[in-house]
Amino acid sequence: MVAGWWILTAFITVWCLFPVASILTTSFKTPGDLSNNQFLPTSWSTMNYEEIITGASRELFLTALWNSIGISVIATFIAVVLATLCAYAIARLNFPGKRVVLTVSLMVSMFPVISLVTPLFNMWRTIGLYDTWLGLIIPYLSLTLPIAIWTLAAFFQQIPWELEQAAQVDGATPLQAFRKVIVPLALPGVFTTAIIAFFIAWNDFVYGMSLTSSEAARTVPAALAFFSGASQFESPTGAISAAAIIVTIPIVILVVLFQRQIVAGLTSGAVKG
Amino acid sequence: MTTESTAQPAASRKKSVRPVKSKRTKAEARLGWWLAGPAFFIMIAVIFYPLMQALWDSLFSYRLTAPDDREFVGLSNYLTILTDSVWWSGFAVTVLITVVTVAVELVLGFALALVMHKAITSTRGFVRTVILVPYGIVTVVSAYAWYYMFSIDSGYMNNWMGWVPGVDSDLNWFAQAGSALTVIMLSEIWKTTPFISLLLLAGLAQVPEELSEAAAVDGATWRQRLWKVILPNMKAAIMVAVLFRALDAFRIFDAVFIMTNGDYGTEVLSLLAYRTSIVRLEIGLGSAVSVLLFLCVALLAFIAVKVFKVDLARGQGGKS
Amino acid sequence: MLTTSTLLLAGCSGDDGTPVLTWYTNPDDGGQAEIAARCTDAAEGRYRIETSVLPNDAASQREQLTRRLAAGDTTMDIMSLDPPFIPELSEPGFLAPVPDDVAAATTEDTLDGALAGAMWKDEIVSVPFWANTQLLWYRKSVAETAGLDMDQPVTWEQLIDAARDQEKYLGVQGANAESMTVWVNALVASAGGQILQNPEAGADELVTDLDSDAGRAAADVVGTIGSEGLGGPGLPTQAENESMLLFRGDNGSFMVNWPFVWPATNAAAEEGAVPEDLIDDIGWAVYPQMSEGQESAPPLGGINLGVGSESQNQDLAWDAIQCIVEPENQSYYFISNGNPPASASAYDDPEIEEMFPMADTIRESLDQAVPRPQTPYYNEVSTAIQDSFTPPSQVAEGTAVETGNFIEKVLRGEALL
Repeated sequence: MVAGWWILTAFITVWCLFPVASILTTSFKTPGDLSNNQFLPTSWSTMNYEEIITGASRELFLTALWNSIGISVIATFIAVVLATLCAYAIARLNFPGKRVVLTVSLMVSMFPVISLVTPLFNMWRTIGLYDTWLGLIIPYLSLTLPIAIWTLAAFFQQIPWELEQAAQVDGATPLQAFRKVIVPLALPGVFTTAIIAFFIAWNDFVYGMSLTSSEAARTVPAALAFFSGASQFESPTGAISAAAIIVTIPIVILVVLFQRQIVAGLTSGAVKG
Repeated sequence: MTTESTAQPAASRKKSVRPVKSKRTKAEARLGWWLAGPAFFIMIAVIFYPLMQALWDSLFSYRLTAPDDREFVGLSNYLTILTDSVWWSGFAVTVLITVVTVAVELVLGFALALVMHKAITSTRGFVRTVILVPYGIVTVVSAYAWYYMFSIDSGYMNNWMGWVPGVDSDLNWFAQAGSALTVIMLSEIWKTTPFISLLLLAGLAQVPEELSEAAAVDGATWRQRLWKVILPNMKAAIMVAVLFRALDAFRIFDAVFIMTNGDYGTEVLSLLAYRTSIVRLEIGLGSAVSVLLFLCVALLAFIAVKVFKVDLARGQGGKS
Repeated sequence: MLTTSTLLLAGCSGDDGTPVLTWYTNPDDGGQAEIAARCTDAAEGRYRIETSVLPNDAASQREQLTRRLAAGDTTMDIMSLDPPFIPELSEPGFLAPVPDDVAAATTEDTLDGALAGAMWKDEIVSVPFWANTQLLWYRKSVAETAGLDMDQPVTWEQLIDAARDQEKYLGVQGANAESMTVWVNALVASAGGQILQNPEAGADELVTDLDSDAGRAAADVVGTIGSEGLGGPGLPTQAENESMLLFRGDNGSFMVNWPFVWPATNAAAEEGAVPEDLIDDIGWAVYPQMSEGQESAPPLGGINLGVGSESQNQDLAWDAIQCIVEPENQSYYFISNGNPPASASAYDDPEIEEMFPMADTIRESLDQAVPRPQTPYYNEVSTAIQDSFTPPSQVAEGTAVETGNFIEKVLRGEALL
């Protein structure tokens, strides 16, 4: 039985990590090796990393990396704050239009991003948001807010709010009751939501590609299309692979550090009081 | 918002019988909008204006590089699109990708969720970590990884899979729809199965352990417990997972854009919209494609909510 | 945030008050950035040129530029433009007119093909910077076995026969990409035809000319190579880089491709990725003919420079352009980045002969080269050709006429692409 679990674990590990390993080995290939049709390079080389970190594509890549980090973090922060307030209202309050809020956020989350690009582009040009951080943060909110609201609303609904009243009966003030009882229960959900929202913002490709035009705001997924080989006709496979690995590192760190929180947050229904 | 004001309604909730239009409910309504308002209006602003703009633009023959030739054409853009085989093949490919990926992901995701739920303590944390990697990875990165793996120029899959019938070193995966879509769908499945499995894990955690145990004591087989106890109790979680993934899959763009750019019968609707309005700068025609794409997605959601009764607002409405 | 961005948009001067010119460049090996630095030095404080890189492929470059120009961006000072897309930008007035003196000074000794690519409606609308053309590259061993005299022009038929007999692959670009239009246009033009009858007409009046002997002959070449598998299994996804890889391999025979293959293959040989003796086996000639004795029309590529009509530094921009296209900068660009000059005198640099022993062939080819159709609807025309001519194995005699009809329907807004 235990052996079975280990085999299963090994199988899942290979399946989940194989594509990452594949692009990792590609990123260590020399230009000549890129067409060798092998998984491993014949000689390991860090030249692709040098190319994007200290070489010709340095400016392009490092500014894009900085933009990606900054824009994603800010968008995540705003989305989580707003979504927490919104989800709290949905979970705890009766107010007319609650279903409208939920329906709208569902509509927003299913809205085809592509449809927004052209009108947003024109609007941003007029008001000067084109190719700025804010010009990406706002559309990123449309990606992150709905899922944040849904996740948090579902989460808040499972919090045993009676505990708050119980604490008050036991003599705690409303503020104490909220802070001591509710906040600890709510925090994992908020934290999980933040990570999910960050992943979504970090993942964006269409907005990053369409609403930026220079290093002022271009994010990494969009910047991949700007790498070049030694000439305009040669494929920048190596540089793309190296950059892909670097943008994957923060994901892996977050996952390794907060695996428990992410999963616990998503399975918060298990809170049994 | 201060904690004080958020704590206030908790007290007001004690009155479970709602008096009509009392001061309390009014205050609660106001507070509700104060809290939900900012998020709501941002979403409306970012979506509503562009949607209206797209609707308006779709009635014109309007090309960005020939602004003077802009001309009102009514619904003729829609007519052009709906009578064109390009739209319908894009539609078919999009539906195919949605159905296949969601179906496969549901099965795989459920299996993964079971593994995560039941895994022995020594591997549990590890499995969960590993599963979250594809979930967090950037779609574009995943697309490149799979593309380089299978590409006839740089890939090694033809070497590795030589034993599979139909695969040899001369197979160009991205030169025909069947094999290209297989790789595209593989990369989608790889990337998003963890999402489904996590949602299902949440559902799995909600299945009362006692029920399952009781059934086991009563002599039910594992399969019986799965069908009679576990799955029915997870219905809500499954429906939500399927709906979210289906809506997401229907808008697939990144993977197709990177791997084939829609060549050889792999064009999907998002890419068609992109190519028409962004690449060709045919704002009118492109907006019409966008609007139609939106309608398809809305229809999908409507069917899910009405026919399959996915109660997304399974909150207050259901409870009271 | 708002103020900063407004400042960025409106203010075009650097910290020290020197006007900053933005040069939108296509990705290269750093050559344009170096030339920008050189011209900034030469300007002695009158302006500073900063480069901003565009995406990798021609279509995306066009897309970025067009959208910014259409939006009235005031920072479009200098743009590296792919010639076929220039009419689309010129027609709605997105490009500032080239001042007469600049036009005269910069096109004095421009090669014919490159000059043709800079014209729209009989006027010079952009300044040629570098000019590209495809050569016929061949493996000497294969040509010898086939008994071909490569000092004489060869025909596509001979190449096809040689590849078929020796079971080798021809290096052509069969991917659904701009390179397909490059190939089709060269084939049609080499057969004495043209893709459009009246390229200067509006969308509703544009008439194609593919229902012709030249169109059918072009479809026949593409279809034969495709259906007989002579382009290798990778043909349907093969663009310039992939066909070079194919040509270098064991099955390589002949290839039509741009000169970048020479520095790229030399670099690969130095690195040990290809056998050392491969270099000695590579020869070059002018683009193959469609029928014996009829001069071929090789593809024309390259980059021209234009100035946005909303640019606030137009005079300085033209000044900078004159510096950029100086023959010595063009030679430098050729030697360092492998992109051939548009100016005849730039070929006089002795280092060129050393680095590119085929420089004379390139010049000859540039004189013969024929641009792709110059129309404001080039993107539609090209995309329609790419869609119809791929995969090459499906191309048959009827493809030519179908493509023509398809282009016309798309331009009239009756069909999607």
